[in-house]
Amino acid sequence: MKTDQNAYTIIVGCGRLGANLANALSDAQENVLIIDKNKDAFRKLSPSYGGLATAADATDLDALQEAGMVKAGTVVVVTNNDNVNVMVAQLAREVFKVREVIARLYDPERECVYREFDIKTICPAVLSMKEIEKILGKKPTEVTHLAQAE
Amino acid sequence: MKKKVLLVGGRSKAKSLALSLLHKGYQVTAINDTYEDCVKLSEIEGLSVLYGDGTRPFLLEDAGAFEADIVIALTAKDEDNLVICELSKKRFHVPRTVAIVTDPKKTDFFYQMGIDRVVCAITTITNIIEQQAFVDHMTNVIPIAEGPIRIAEIPVCENAPIAGKKLWEVNLPQDVIIGSVLRGDRVMVPRGDTRILAGDMLVLISGNGTEISQIEEWTGREAK
Repeated sequence: MKTDQNAYTIIVGCGRLGANLANALSDAQENVLIIDKNKDAFRKLSPSYGGLATAADATDLDALQEAGMVKAGTVVVVTNNDNVNVMVAQLAREVFKVREVIARLYDPERECVYREFDIKTICPAVLSMKEIEKILGKKPTEVTHLAQAE
Repeated sequence: MKKKVLLVGGRSKAKSLALSLLHKGYQVTAINDTYEDCVKLSEIEGLSVLYGDGTRPFLLEDAGAFEADIVIALTAKDEDNLVICELSKKRFHVPRTVAIVTDPKKTDFFYQMGIDRVVCAITTITNIIEQQAFVDHMTNVIPIAEGPIRIAEIPVCENAPIAGKKLWEVNLPQDVIIGSVLRGDRVMVPRGDTRILAGDMLVLISGNGTEISQIEEWTGREAK
Protein backbone atom coordinates (compact mmCIF):
# COMPACT_ATOMS: atom_id res chain seq x y z
CA MET A 1 0.00 0.00 0.00
CA LYS A 2 1.30 3.41 -0.90
CA THR A 3 0.90 6.15 1.66
CA ASP A 4 1.26 9.84 0.85
CA GLN A 5 4.48 9.93 2.78
CA ASN A 6 6.10 7.26 0.65
CA ALA A 7 5.00 8.84 -2.60
CA TYR A 8 6.84 12.08 -1.87
CA THR A 9 9.88 12.24 -4.14
CA ILE A 10 12.71 14.78 -4.11
CA ILE A 11 14.81 15.24 -7.23
CA VAL A 12 18.11 17.07 -6.87
CA GLY A 13 19.41 18.67 -10.06
CA CYS A 14 17.16 20.03 -12.79
CA GLY A 15 19.09 18.97 -15.86
CA ARG A 16 17.66 17.00 -18.75
CA LEU A 17 17.37 13.84 -16.68
CA GLY A 18 16.05 15.54 -13.54
CA ALA A 19 13.51 17.68 -15.38
CA ASN A 20 12.19 14.82 -17.51
CA LEU A 21 11.90 12.57 -14.50
CA ALA A 22 10.05 15.31 -12.59
CA ASN A 23 7.67 15.81 -15.53
CA ALA A 24 7.00 12.09 -15.80
CA LEU A 25 6.34 11.65 -12.07
CA SER A 26 4.14 14.73 -12.01
CA ASP A 27 2.13 13.37 -14.97
CA ALA A 28 1.72 10.13 -13.01
CA GLN A 29 0.09 12.18 -10.19
CA GLU A 30 2.97 11.75 -7.75
CA ASN A 31 4.14 14.38 -5.29
CA VAL A 32 7.42 15.78 -6.56
CA LEU A 33 9.84 18.47 -5.35
CA ILE A 34 12.76 19.43 -7.56
CA ILE A 35 15.82 21.32 -6.27
CA ASP A 36 18.41 23.16 -8.33
CA LYS A 37 20.73 25.95 -7.29
CA ASN A 38 20.03 27.82 -10.51
CA LYS A 39 16.39 28.85 -10.88
CA ASP A 40 16.74 29.27 -14.67
CA ALA A 41 17.10 25.50 -14.84
CA PHE A 42 13.39 25.15 -14.05
CA ARG A 43 12.59 26.30 -17.60
CA LYS A 44 13.18 22.69 -18.61
CA LEU A 45 10.08 21.63 -16.64
CA SER A 46 6.98 21.22 -18.76
CA PRO A 47 4.12 23.76 -18.41
CA SER A 48 1.93 21.02 -17.02
CA TYR A 49 4.39 20.20 -14.22
CA GLY A 50 2.35 20.15 -11.04
CA GLY A 51 5.08 19.65 -8.44
CA LEU A 52 7.18 22.06 -6.42
CA ALA A 53 10.44 23.68 -7.49
CA THR A 54 12.96 25.14 -5.03
CA ALA A 55 16.05 27.13 -5.95
CA ALA A 56 18.59 26.11 -3.32
CA ASP A 57 22.03 24.60 -2.83
CA ALA A 58 21.41 20.94 -2.09
CA THR A 59 24.77 20.56 -0.34
CA ASP A 60 23.46 22.87 2.39
CA LEU A 61 21.94 20.97 5.31
CA ASP A 62 19.42 23.70 6.09
CA ALA A 63 18.20 23.76 2.49
CA LEU A 64 17.61 20.00 2.60
CA GLN A 65 15.83 20.34 5.91
CA GLU A 66 13.60 23.04 4.47
CA ALA A 67 12.84 20.88 1.46
CA GLY A 68 11.41 18.32 3.87
CA MET A 69 13.91 15.61 3.14
CA VAL A 70 13.05 13.77 6.34
CA LYS A 71 9.58 13.12 4.98
CA ALA A 72 10.66 12.03 1.51
CA GLY A 73 10.21 8.40 0.52
CA THR A 74 12.58 8.62 -2.41
CA VAL A 75 15.46 10.94 -3.25
CA VAL A 76 16.96 10.99 -6.74
CA VAL A 77 20.28 12.83 -7.04
CA VAL A 78 21.13 13.76 -10.62
CA THR A 79 23.28 16.92 -10.65
CA ASN A 80 26.05 17.11 -13.22
CA ASN A 81 28.76 16.83 -10.54
CA ASP A 82 29.64 13.35 -9.26
CA ASN A 83 31.09 14.58 -5.99
CA VAL A 84 28.00 16.65 -5.20
CA ASN A 85 25.88 13.59 -5.98
CA VAL A 86 27.97 11.47 -3.61
CA MET A 87 27.62 13.94 -0.77
CA VAL A 88 23.91 14.69 -1.22
CA ALA A 89 23.08 10.99 -1.56
CA GLN A 90 24.98 10.15 1.61
CA LEU A 91 23.39 13.07 3.47
CA ALA A 92 19.95 11.83 2.39
CA ARG A 93 20.74 8.30 3.46
CA GLU A 94 22.67 8.81 6.69
CA VAL A 95 21.42 12.12 8.09
CA PHE A 96 17.84 12.19 6.84
CA LYS A 97 17.36 8.39 6.78
CA VAL A 98 15.56 8.40 3.42
CA ARG A 99 14.46 4.88 2.53
CA GLU A 100 15.31 4.91 -1.15
CA VAL A 101 18.20 6.92 -2.54
CA ILE A 102 19.21 6.82 -6.20
CA ALA A 103 22.21 8.69 -7.56
CA ARG A 104 23.74 9.19 -10.95
CA LEU A 105 27.47 8.69 -11.27
CA TYR A 106 29.37 9.55 -14.44
CA ASP A 107 32.58 7.89 -13.32
CA PRO A 108 31.95 4.21 -12.49
CA GLU A 109 35.26 4.06 -10.62
CA ARG A 110 33.81 6.13 -7.80
CA GLU A 111 31.04 3.62 -7.14
CA CYS A 112 32.93 1.99 -4.28
CA VAL A 113 32.14 4.92 -1.99
CA TYR A 114 28.43 4.07 -2.18
CA ARG A 115 28.74 0.37 -1.54
CA GLU A 116 28.06 0.12 2.16
CA PHE A 117 25.33 2.78 2.25
CA ASP A 118 22.64 0.99 0.27
CA ILE A 119 22.44 3.75 -2.32
CA LYS A 120 21.44 2.71 -5.83
CA THR A 121 23.68 4.10 -8.53
CA ILE A 122 22.99 4.70 -12.18
CA CYS A 123 25.98 5.04 -14.42
CA PRO A 124 25.25 6.35 -17.94
CA ALA A 125 28.50 4.99 -19.40
CA VAL A 126 27.83 1.48 -18.11
CA LEU A 127 24.18 1.57 -19.26
CA SER A 128 25.15 2.79 -22.72
CA MET A 129 27.81 0.14 -22.95
CA LYS A 130 25.30 -2.59 -22.10
CA GLU A 131 22.86 -1.26 -24.70
CA ILE A 132 25.53 -1.09 -27.37
CA GLU A 133 26.70 -4.58 -26.50
CA LYS A 134 23.14 -5.74 -26.78
CA ILE A 135 22.83 -4.19 -30.25
CA LEU A 136 26.18 -5.57 -31.31
CA GLY A 137 25.38 -8.94 -29.80
CA LYS A 138 22.05 -9.07 -31.60
CA LYS A 139 23.31 -8.19 -35.04
CA PRO A 140 25.18 -11.38 -35.87
CA THR A 141 22.23 -13.52 -34.77
CA GLU A 142 19.88 -11.40 -36.86
CA VAL A 143 22.17 -11.73 -39.81
CA THR A 144 22.34 -15.50 -39.46
CA HIS A 145 18.63 -15.59 -38.90
CA LEU A 146 18.08 -13.69 -42.13
CA ALA A 147 20.59 -15.84 -43.88
CA GLN A 148 18.76 -18.93 -42.74
CA ALA A 149 15.43 -17.51 -43.86
CA GLU A 150 16.64 -16.88 -47.32
CA MET B 1 60.85 3.97 6.39
CA LYS B 2 59.57 7.46 5.71
CA LYS B 3 55.89 8.09 6.30
CA LYS B 4 54.05 9.01 3.14
CA VAL B 5 51.63 11.91 3.10
CA LEU B 6 49.33 12.85 0.24
CA LEU B 7 48.01 16.42 0.07
CA VAL B 8 45.07 17.05 -2.25
CA GLY B 9 44.07 20.56 -3.29
CA GLY B 10 44.60 23.77 -1.39
CA ARG B 11 46.79 26.67 -2.39
CA SER B 12 48.69 28.27 0.47
CA LYS B 13 47.56 25.60 2.94
CA ALA B 14 49.13 22.88 0.79
CA LYS B 15 52.29 24.90 0.41
CA SER B 16 52.91 25.60 4.08
CA LEU B 17 51.84 22.09 5.09
CA ALA B 18 54.18 20.57 2.53
CA LEU B 19 57.09 22.68 3.74
CA SER B 20 56.45 21.79 7.37
CA LEU B 21 55.95 18.06 6.68
CA LEU B 22 59.05 17.79 4.47
CA HIS B 23 61.01 19.51 7.19
CA LYS B 24 59.81 16.89 9.66
CA GLY B 25 61.03 14.11 7.37
CA TYR B 26 57.84 12.92 5.70
CA GLN B 27 57.64 11.94 2.08
CA VAL B 28 55.08 14.32 0.62
CA THR B 29 53.11 14.27 -2.64
CA ALA B 30 50.70 17.04 -3.65
CA ILE B 31 47.83 16.84 -6.13
CA ASN B 32 46.34 20.04 -7.48
CA ASP B 33 43.90 20.78 -10.29
CA THR B 34 45.08 24.35 -10.91
CA TYR B 35 48.12 24.57 -13.15
CA GLU B 36 49.45 27.79 -11.57
CA ASP B 37 49.28 26.25 -8.11
CA CYS B 38 51.18 23.21 -9.37
CA VAL B 39 53.92 25.48 -10.68
CA LYS B 40 54.11 27.26 -7.32
CA LEU B 41 54.18 23.94 -5.43
CA SER B 42 56.85 22.46 -7.68
CA GLU B 43 59.23 25.18 -6.51
CA ILE B 44 59.42 23.34 -3.19
CA GLU B 45 62.40 21.04 -3.08
CA GLY B 46 61.64 17.38 -2.50
CA LEU B 47 57.91 17.68 -3.11
CA SER B 48 56.30 15.53 -5.82
CA VAL B 49 53.50 17.37 -7.59
CA LEU B 50 50.72 15.89 -9.73
CA TYR B 51 48.46 18.05 -11.88
CA GLY B 52 44.84 16.88 -12.06
CA ASP B 53 41.55 16.25 -10.29
CA GLY B 54 42.27 14.48 -7.01
CA THR B 55 38.74 13.12 -6.75
CA ARG B 56 39.52 10.74 -9.63
CA PRO B 57 40.62 7.30 -8.45
CA PHE B 58 43.27 6.77 -11.12
CA LEU B 59 45.01 10.01 -10.19
CA LEU B 60 45.09 9.06 -6.53
CA GLU B 61 46.56 5.74 -7.57
CA ASP B 62 49.23 7.47 -9.66
CA ALA B 63 50.07 9.61 -6.65
CA GLY B 64 50.73 6.44 -4.66
CA ALA B 65 47.56 6.31 -2.58
CA PHE B 66 48.04 2.58 -2.00
CA GLU B 67 51.22 3.22 -0.02
CA ALA B 68 50.13 6.47 1.62
CA ASP B 69 49.97 6.61 5.42
CA ILE B 70 47.99 9.84 5.58
CA VAL B 71 45.76 11.58 3.06
CA ILE B 72 44.83 15.21 3.69
CA ALA B 73 42.04 16.78 1.63
CA LEU B 74 42.39 20.55 1.44
CA THR B 75 40.18 21.60 -1.47
CA ALA B 76 37.70 24.46 -1.10
CA LYS B 77 34.73 22.19 -1.83
CA ASP B 78 33.31 20.03 0.94
CA GLU B 79 31.98 17.43 -1.49
CA ASP B 80 35.41 17.02 -3.11
CA ASN B 81 37.10 16.56 0.25
CA LEU B 82 34.50 13.97 1.25
CA VAL B 83 35.02 11.98 -1.95
CA ILE B 84 38.82 12.17 -1.71
CA CYS B 85 38.77 10.80 1.84
CA GLU B 86 36.17 8.13 1.11
CA LEU B 87 38.06 6.91 -1.95
CA SER B 88 41.28 6.86 0.07
CA LYS B 89 39.66 4.85 2.83
CA LYS B 90 37.57 2.42 0.85
CA ARG B 91 39.57 1.90 -2.31
CA PHE B 92 43.13 2.47 -1.21
CA HIS B 93 42.79 1.52 2.48
CA VAL B 94 44.70 4.56 3.71
CA PRO B 95 45.03 4.26 7.51
CA ARG B 96 44.43 7.93 8.25
CA THR B 97 42.37 10.51 6.40
CA VAL B 98 42.00 14.18 7.26
CA ALA B 99 39.56 16.62 5.64
CA ILE B 100 38.95 20.30 6.03
CA VAL B 101 35.32 21.32 5.92
CA THR B 102 33.90 24.76 5.14
CA ASP B 103 30.43 24.25 6.55
CA PRO B 104 30.62 23.69 10.34
CA LYS B 105 27.30 21.84 10.27
CA LYS B 106 28.82 19.06 8.20
CA THR B 107 31.57 18.18 10.69
CA ASP B 108 29.56 15.43 12.40
CA PHE B 109 28.41 14.05 9.06
CA PHE B 110 32.00 13.77 7.85
CA TYR B 111 32.96 11.84 10.99
CA GLN B 112 29.92 9.64 10.46
CA MET B 113 31.20 8.84 6.96
CA GLY B 114 34.36 7.39 8.45
CA ILE B 115 36.86 10.22 8.00
CA ASP B 116 39.41 10.05 10.81
CA ARG B 117 39.89 13.76 11.43
CA VAL B 118 37.74 16.67 10.34
CA VAL B 119 39.06 20.19 10.65
CA CYS B 120 36.60 23.03 10.35
CA ALA B 121 38.53 26.18 9.58
CA ILE B 122 35.62 28.47 10.45
CA THR B 123 35.01 26.94 13.89
CA THR B 124 38.72 26.92 14.69
CA ILE B 125 39.25 30.51 13.62
CA THR B 126 36.15 31.88 15.34
CA ASN B 127 37.21 30.12 18.56
CA ILE B 128 40.61 31.75 18.41
CA ILE B 129 39.23 35.18 17.55
CA GLU B 130 36.73 34.96 20.39
CA GLN B 131 39.45 34.12 22.88
CA GLN B 132 41.83 36.75 21.57
CA ALA B 133 39.13 39.41 21.62
CA PHE B 134 38.08 38.87 25.20
CA VAL B 135 41.35 38.06 26.92
CA ASP B 136 44.11 40.04 25.30
CA HIS B 137 46.83 39.21 27.83
CA MET B 138 46.49 35.52 27.20
CA THR B 139 49.23 35.05 24.69
CA ASN B 140 48.33 31.64 23.41
CA VAL B 141 45.26 29.47 23.81
CA ILE B 142 44.86 26.07 22.21
CA PRO B 143 41.40 24.56 22.27
CA ILE B 144 41.33 20.76 22.36
CA ALA B 145 38.38 18.49 21.57
CA GLU B 146 36.48 21.35 19.86
CA GLY B 147 36.68 23.68 22.84
CA PRO B 148 35.91 22.11 26.23
CA ILE B 149 39.58 21.64 27.13
CA ARG B 150 42.02 24.48 26.68
CA ILE B 151 45.70 24.97 27.11
CA ALA B 152 46.58 28.59 27.81
CA GLU B 153 49.92 30.29 28.13
CA ILE B 154 49.82 33.24 30.54
CA PRO B 155 52.57 35.55 31.79
CA VAL B 156 52.88 36.52 35.46
CA CYS B 157 53.51 40.26 35.77
CA GLU B 158 55.09 42.28 38.64
CA ASN B 159 51.89 43.23 40.43
CA ALA B 160 50.18 39.86 40.02
CA PRO B 161 48.74 38.51 43.28
CA ILE B 162 50.13 35.10 42.43
CA ALA B 163 53.75 36.30 42.16
CA GLY B 164 55.98 35.13 45.00
CA LYS B 165 53.48 32.57 46.23
CA LYS B 166 54.04 28.85 46.52
CA LEU B 167 51.74 26.75 44.43
CA TRP B 168 49.90 25.25 47.43
CA GLU B 169 49.10 28.78 48.62
CA VAL B 170 47.28 29.54 45.39
CA ASN B 171 43.60 28.82 45.40
CA LEU B 172 43.25 26.59 42.35
CA PRO B 173 39.71 26.15 41.04
CA GLN B 174 38.50 22.65 40.32
CA ASP B 175 38.87 22.61 36.57
CA VAL B 176 42.32 24.19 36.33
CA ILE B 177 45.83 22.83 36.78
CA ILE B 178 49.19 24.42 36.11
CA GLY B 179 50.87 22.06 33.68
CA SER B 180 54.29 23.65 33.68
CA VAL B 181 56.16 26.83 34.53
CA LEU B 182 58.52 28.43 32.06
CA ARG B 183 61.26 30.50 33.66
CA GLY B 184 63.77 31.87 31.20
CA ASP B 185 65.04 28.86 29.32
CA ARG B 186 63.99 26.43 32.01
CA VAL B 187 60.84 24.34 31.94
CA MET B 188 59.57 23.12 35.30
CA VAL B 189 56.76 20.77 36.14
CA PRO B 190 55.52 22.44 39.31
CA ARG B 191 54.97 20.74 42.65
CA GLY B 192 53.12 22.08 45.64
CA ASP B 193 56.22 23.84 46.98
CA THR B 194 57.20 25.49 43.70
CA ARG B 195 57.32 29.27 44.11
CA ILE B 196 55.88 31.29 41.27
CA LEU B 197 57.84 34.43 40.42
CA ALA B 198 57.03 37.53 38.42
CA GLY B 199 58.16 37.02 34.84
CA ASP B 200 57.24 33.35 34.80
CA MET B 201 55.11 31.96 32.05
CA LEU B 202 52.43 29.55 33.24
CA VAL B 203 51.02 26.82 31.03
CA LEU B 204 47.49 26.19 32.15
CA ILE B 205 45.21 23.29 31.35
CA SER B 206 41.56 23.92 32.01
CA GLY B 207 38.10 22.59 31.32
CA ASN B 208 34.88 24.51 30.62
CA GLY B 209 36.54 27.88 30.09
CA THR B 210 37.19 28.41 33.82
CA GLU B 211 40.61 29.85 33.11
CA ILE B 212 39.32 33.24 32.01
CA SER B 213 38.20 34.42 35.44
CA GLN B 214 41.18 32.80 37.09
CA ILE B 215 43.65 34.55 34.84
CA GLU B 216 42.18 37.93 35.70
CA GLU B 217 42.64 37.18 39.38
CA TRP B 218 46.16 35.84 39.07
CA THR B 219 47.74 38.29 36.73
CA GLY B 220 46.11 41.27 38.41
CA ARG B 221 44.80 42.60 35.16
CA GLU B 222 41.28 43.02 33.94
CA ALA B 223 40.12 41.52 30.75
CA LYS B 224 39.27 44.25 28.32
